[in-house]
Amino acid sequence: MIDFEEELKNYEPSLEIEEAVDNIYSHDLTDLTDIFREMLEESRRA
Amino acid sequence: MICVYCGGELKPKGDRCPGCGRNVRMIKKLIATSNALYNEGLKRALIRDLSGAADVLRTSLKLYKLNIPARNLLGLVYFEMGEGVRAMSEWVISKNFLPEDNPAGRYLNEIQNSPAQLEVINQTTKKYNQALLYCRQDSSDLAVIQLKKVLSVNPKMVRAHQLLALLYIQEQRYDQAKKTLRNALKLDGSNVTTLRYLKECNLALKHEPDRKKKEKQNRELISYASGNDTIIQPVKLRDNTALTTVLNILIGVGIGVLITWFLVVPGVKTSVRNEMNVQVTAANETIADKEQTILSLQNQVDQMESQIEAAKLGEEESDTRLTSYQQLLNAYVAYANEDVDAAGVALASVNADYLDTSAQDAYETINTQVNEQYMDAAYHAGDAAYNEGRYDDAIQEFLKIMVLDETYHSGDALYSLAQAYSKNGDDQNAATYYRKIATLYPDTQRARTAERFLAEYADTAEDQEAEDTTAETAPAE
Repeated sequence: MIDFEEELKNYEPSLEIEEAVDNIYSHDLTDLTDIFREMLEESRRA
Repeated sequence: MICVYCGGELKPKGDRCPGCGRNVRMIKKLIATSNALYNEGLKRALIRDLSGAADVLRTSLKLYKLNIPARNLLGLVYFEMGEGVRAMSEWVISKNFLPEDNPAGRYLNEIQNSPAQLEVINQTTKKYNQALLYCRQDSSDLAVIQLKKVLSVNPKMVRAHQLLALLYIQEQRYDQAKKTLRNALKLDGSNVTTLRYLKECNLALKHEPDRKKKEKQNRELISYASGNDTIIQPVKLRDNTALTTVLNILIGVGIGVLITWFLVVPGVKTSVRNEMNVQVTAANETIADKEQTILSLQNQVDQMESQIEAAKLGEEESDTRLTSYQQLLNAYVAYANEDVDAAGVALASVNADYLDTSAQDAYETINTQVNEQYMDAAYHAGDAAYNEGRYDDAIQEFLKIMVLDETYHSGDALYSLAQAYSKNGDDQNAATYYRKIATLYPDTQRARTAERFLAEYADTAEDQEAEDTTAETAPAE
């Protein structure tokens, strides 16, 4: 049985055009290659 | 394939970067896995499993953010799901990573060069957010209206379909929810949320007949406790007897008549009255106009009558003037022929007021001379007639003098006239002229004679009156 109130919490407001720029700047673009490279840098420093 | 350390091109074979010489084996593995996920995403997108494709592509980008085809495809998937702003965000990032030879630039240009499409994206987003707000404020009706507007503008928006279906499920309108969810499935065939809602609808619809039957029974029957008994009876007791039908018809007819009498008839009466008032007003206005016209014409008639009267008076005046001049001329001719009588008669017909100054002078001159001669002749003729006992002739002659001058010859003519009347037996006229003598020449012998005559005349008149009275009052034999 679907709980309407609970289900409603899964819906988030859509991004409006005015918010697009902020969304792009706040986008987390870190990927695994970044993490892997950092790990290598740290191990090299150690 | 680009080296994450130096940005140089990596060769397909070998674990070291030809540019920086670093070990890139792990990096190449990550990139290969990212590419495999991109391929999977592409497959899912091709069978319209958009949400599945989006999940895989996001994972692909988490492994290798510079996977430009994966990011562009993710943008396309978002766009197809009606998420325009998210699509543009991905394309902007993609374009930022690879400014040249990037299809994302073309996508962005196409959208930016179409203000109508941008406006659709903007309006759709705002209305969807408003609908979501209505849902959270328990205004389901408004939310449904808003979502229908969203879908009429942008029917690809999967989230709007899902939210609308959720609202329908909440209101137990499962048929409509199912219809909406089918539309959502056409866009995104394997969306988990859509499939879950659809399953809920199917379950609900399976139990729908039992539920409806129970509701119908509840609507048709009412039950209540009476003492220890529970009484169940239909809500409406049907009565189909003919009498009831006839009664209902009669009541209906009665109500109709009453409505007609109290509502329709007064309206009709008022309408007729208003119409009559308008007609009476129009008639009054017409009458007033006619009266005004009549008055104007009457004024014209009066004016013309006045002009005619003035013309007549002018004509009479002209006639009189002409006659006066003619008589003056006749008088002059008669005077020149020494016919004093004719001259006097002509002068008597002259109205001196209509003569001009020179004519008036001539008139005065002739009149004076003619009158003297005329009256002298009349006096001698009258005197001669009196002495010869022709009193009628004498009276006529003396009367000619009286017309012109009563005091002629120091009242001799007047006295002779009175005596002529007296001798002729006309005491009444004699008394008239004796009175004038007594008035004009008091304390003279003539006045005393006149008074004596008047006294005798008064006595005689009284005696005569007494005799007349006696004769009238005496009884008839």
